[in-house]
Amino acid sequence: MPKRRDILAIVLIVLPWTLLITVWHQSAIAPLLAIRKDDGTETRHETGPATDSKEYCSQDKDIVEVVRTEYVYTRPPPWSDVLPTIHVITPTYSRPVQKAELTRLANTFLHVPNLHWILVEDSQRRTPLVTRLLRETGLNYTHLNVETPRNYKLRGDTRDPRIPRGTMQRNLALRWLRETFNSNSSQTGIVYFADDDNTYSLELFEEMRSTRKVSVWPVAFVGGLRYESPKVNAAGKVYGWKTVFDPHRPFAIDMAGFAINLRLILFKPQAYFKLRGVKGGYQESSLLRELVTLSDLEPKAANCTKILVWHTRTEKPVLVNEGKKGFTDPNVEI
Amino acid sequence: MRMRLKLKTVFVLYFTVSLLGLFYALMQLGAGQRCDCRDPDLSKDQQISQLRGELQKLQEHIKTSELSKKTDVPRIYVITPTYARLVQKAELTRLSHTFLHVPQLHWIVVEDAPLPTPLVTDFLAASGLTYTHLYKLTPKDRKLQEGDPSWLKPRGAEQRNEGLRWLREMGSAAKGKEAAALEEAVVYFADDDNTYSLQLFEEMRYTYRVSVWPVGLVGGMKFERPVVEDGKVVRFHTGWRPNRPFPIDMAGFAVSLRMILSNRQAQFDGDAQMGFLESSFLQHLVTMDDLEPKADLCTKVLVWHTRTEKPKMKREDALQKQGLGSDPDVEV
Repeated sequence: MPKRRDILAIVLIVLPWTLLITVWHQSAIAPLLAIRKDDGTETRHETGPATDSKEYCSQDKDIVEVVRTEYVYTRPPPWSDVLPTIHVITPTYSRPVQKAELTRLANTFLHVPNLHWILVEDSQRRTPLVTRLLRETGLNYTHLNVETPRNYKLRGDTRDPRIPRGTMQRNLALRWLRETFNSNSSQTGIVYFADDDNTYSLELFEEMRSTRKVSVWPVAFVGGLRYESPKVNAAGKVYGWKTVFDPHRPFAIDMAGFAINLRLILFKPQAYFKLRGVKGGYQESSLLRELVTLSDLEPKAANCTKILVWHTRTEKPVLVNEGKKGFTDPNVEI
Repeated sequence: MRMRLKLKTVFVLYFTVSLLGLFYALMQLGAGQRCDCRDPDLSKDQQISQLRGELQKLQEHIKTSELSKKTDVPRIYVITPTYARLVQKAELTRLSHTFLHVPQLHWIVVEDAPLPTPLVTDFLAASGLTYTHLYKLTPKDRKLQEGDPSWLKPRGAEQRNEGLRWLREMGSAAKGKEAAALEEAVVYFADDDNTYSLQLFEEMRYTYRVSVWPVGLVGGMKFERPVVEDGKVVRFHTGWRPNRPFPIDMAGFAVSLRMILSNRQAQFDGDAQMGFLESSFLQHLVTMDDLEPKADLCTKVLVWHTRTEKPKMKREDALQKQGLGSDPDVEV
């Protein structure tokens, strides 16, 4: 009799704790928590005129004012209370063409109303180059950083498809969105992943603004083709993928070819890009399959018949004349 | 007896507390699950058209309020030679996004083609920019062939000269107010794959003869630039053939329209040696002494000589061979 009681007592003590631990383990994201450092992921939350829709924007209004009177033409358009915000997530890393890429990307974004740029550096600390650039553009932005551990990084130029570049940075941005936005709020928003070397038309952003769950469209210059595109049937539903490279992937689409409604991101807080063990070309699927099914996809760009985004790649500049010691003044920022 | 009671209470208390904690955690998780992802509005079309209307209103507001502000600044004529290849539309698109921010910019696009192409024609019409669309075919012997390295023959010389010709024609015909405006205008040669900051255009806007500044990622170096002492250019900092008359990249200088109109012989020499294209033009116009240094006395990089990779088309080529290539009607 006492023996059974003892066993019962032990079970009743241990049971709630095991359940509790399982529950917490599920809701935590172990790899991301392991990397997180306080100074690294600190975001800029300027307390300027705190209007509702702009609480999360980091805009140093005073300095921007001065710059703006000099170049009155640079703008973002005035913020609208009606248009859904497009949160553009761009991972970036230091290399000679970085400033140029971000400059021309910013010049495109400055035309898009209600755009919020989430720029995530692959670095230990936020670099002065990017900090200054973002401030001078006048865009509504959030500046984050997380460093990809060395064994994940691509070595030099080798295209190792098993380790997708920018994954940790994109995941950090997703986490930032989930921490910043309450799932019960009425904030409308669209999330788009924009790499810093692609080319985007202005029409693309207006197409994605009406996304309800996940919208898709063709992307030029990917998969060794002029363009890859979703296959759309007469009823306006996506039923397959027009690609040569592995068209049987769950989502045979490039990072630049889809956008997600912010509500869906908040509704499924476990959905992230898979970090390890992802085959080449399956990165996008690793996130999308946790969010939607094929029939939920909304085709845009005239039922996926127009090209509104190009997967351009910039050549690595030949710096042969710099020599071993560096010929040019290292204090001049390029 | 008393001790047993105490233990029992402790146990019961502990059990209750942990159960409560568990329920709390489950509720936290559960709250996240409850979500209605559907739009609250019944009429989706209504919402979309409302958004579109709002967007149009915003765009109109921008166009009318800002564009009218800056009409009293010198005009910048930008001459861009371009040629048909896969990335052409993408390059022109992102270039136009930069130019749309620059007041009083007039874009002169010169195609290397026997006739204006529909792609460029339609693109320019929709761009929202002030433009002139020209075309001039490069003679075969001067044209780069497939597989030639990019530096083998100077590119764009004929097209730039065509742009100059148009400017001179327009300059001769101009009268009154327009002629006065041309007196202060500036001409810049912008290739369609470089990257330009907005500040660059403000630097070049007030050019008396020829102004110069650094260019990033060119000449095998992080940047090339004129070296300035006492406000004058004394030599050029470049890693390659510094003894050229003007060892400066096409993107590194701007010329006042006045100089172009008063020096009608100044042209680009299509037969010039590699790297001497710029010199072939500039040496008719100025000496190094006359150059006006910009960009903080040539210490800031405001333009980068970026180049875009040729996209890999091996799967497309394979499909084309089988007659299964992508729809040619879809413009890329």
